[in-house]
Amino acid sequence: MQLTFPHRETWLHQVNPTLKIVLFSLWFLAVILIHNFNVMLNVAIGSLLLLPWSGHPWKRLLLYATPFLLVFVSTSTGMMFFGKGETDWFRWGLVNITEESFYRGLHLGFRALSMAAVGLLFGLTTRPVRLFYSLMQQGRLAPKYAYSFLAALRLVPIIIDEFQTLRHALKIRGMRKRGWFIGFYQLVHRYAIPLLAQSIRRAHRIAVAMEAKGFAGRAKRTYYYSIGFSYRDIVFVTYTLAVFGVAFLAGTYWPYLDIIDVR
Amino acid sequence: MAAETVQGQGQGTRSRGLKLTDILVTIVIAVVFGIIYKVWGPMYDVVKPLGVHAEQTIYGMWFIAGTFAFLVVRKPGVAVLAEVAAASISALLGSEWGISTLYYGVLQGLGAEIIFAIFLYRNASVWVVSLAAIGAAAGSLVLDFGYGYIESLSTWNYTLLIGLRVLGSIVIAGIFAYSLSKALELTGVTKVFRPASKKDYEALNRV
Repeated sequence: MQLTFPHRETWLHQVNPTLKIVLFSLWFLAVILIHNFNVMLNVAIGSLLLLPWSGHPWKRLLLYATPFLLVFVSTSTGMMFFGKGETDWFRWGLVNITEESFYRGLHLGFRALSMAAVGLLFGLTTRPVRLFYSLMQQGRLAPKYAYSFLAALRLVPIIIDEFQTLRHALKIRGMRKRGWFIGFYQLVHRYAIPLLAQSIRRAHRIAVAMEAKGFAGRAKRTYYYSIGFSYRDIVFVTYTLAVFGVAFLAGTYWPYLDIIDVR
Repeated sequence: MAAETVQGQGQGTRSRGLKLTDILVTIVIAVVFGIIYKVWGPMYDVVKPLGVHAEQTIYGMWFIAGTFAFLVVRKPGVAVLAEVAAASISALLGSEWGISTLYYGVLQGLGAEIIFAIFLYRNASVWVVSLAAIGAAAGSLVLDFGYGYIESLSTWNYTLLIGLRVLGSIVIAGIFAYSLSKALELTGVTKVFRPASKKDYEALNRV
């Protein structure tokens, strides 16, 4: 089973993964602290502009991005319809749209959109192997955690294969779904228990083998891939700073709407 | 010096923290649930625009990795590790909440971990697991205040949100996780994580 799709390597793939995590975390923190609607909209645009560098073709990118629309709608409407506010626009039963709640809803939508774009970019441009090697080298993560992660990721295709086997086995024996609730309960027991039990057994065996090979030791070790920093890291840091700088300045001097604080 | 090097190069068996076996099993469990977490996302978003917070009843699924992993491995730090690992898997799979998933994971894991720690990691009854599920829900709410402005929802809506989330997490991450672990215990795979009890030693002495 293949979990990755062919794609172009861009400069974002070469950015140090630990730096990427740190910057995206700061991005998250900054997004939480932005209460100005105009600045948030600019930041969301800045985040989306990064996506073409993911190295994946447009069509696939759009396919990946479809849940974003769902998140945008679901995040914003919840606040729009049921938020607090003074200036009434529309009232129907429990739904009460006010000017304040409408823009607060949109603000939350852009927040979610920005985080989704950045998160997708992280997923698409970071190879797990590079990520965990970098976390060991730059992030001081204990090797036993990093190698456990990598080993566990390798088990995913096996788990999926086992799931198929189970499905076929149950099908050929004529297992049928009974009722909604009982059906769900049976489904869980038929699939989850054997899958989890097998995975745990396998994990245990692999762990014993890994301990025997010295993966659990705390001694200083060498790495097959050495991951460092390059000029691309400076480019990436500059881009991030520029997005927030420009978003803040543009939002202050050329606001789209006269809303300073959506809270 | 020599003794220290030997210990330093030891296979982690003597250290107080998690052994490699514990870590790997925890992470494998987290990977299984991480995939479920990713699939759960679209489901949650489809239910959400209904507005009466029906989606909050299924929110508890995102806390199950922590409580379930603890029920299997029963060591300090397992709940946090499992939640963080499951969150990072769903982030690596391109979660629609992006990097925020990671931080929700950390807080949810910590919420559950604190409850297990209060009971000194010795009590794994269905009550404690349900309490841990509430702890995880509390952890997620902390971030929701900052990230989702939930306090700006109208009062009835906001109360409903918290109420349903807590209820959903008790049912899914508490009771359901517990029944799942009980069913798993019947297969015998969890035995390797339990220290030999007095009963086991007595069984050895019997002729």
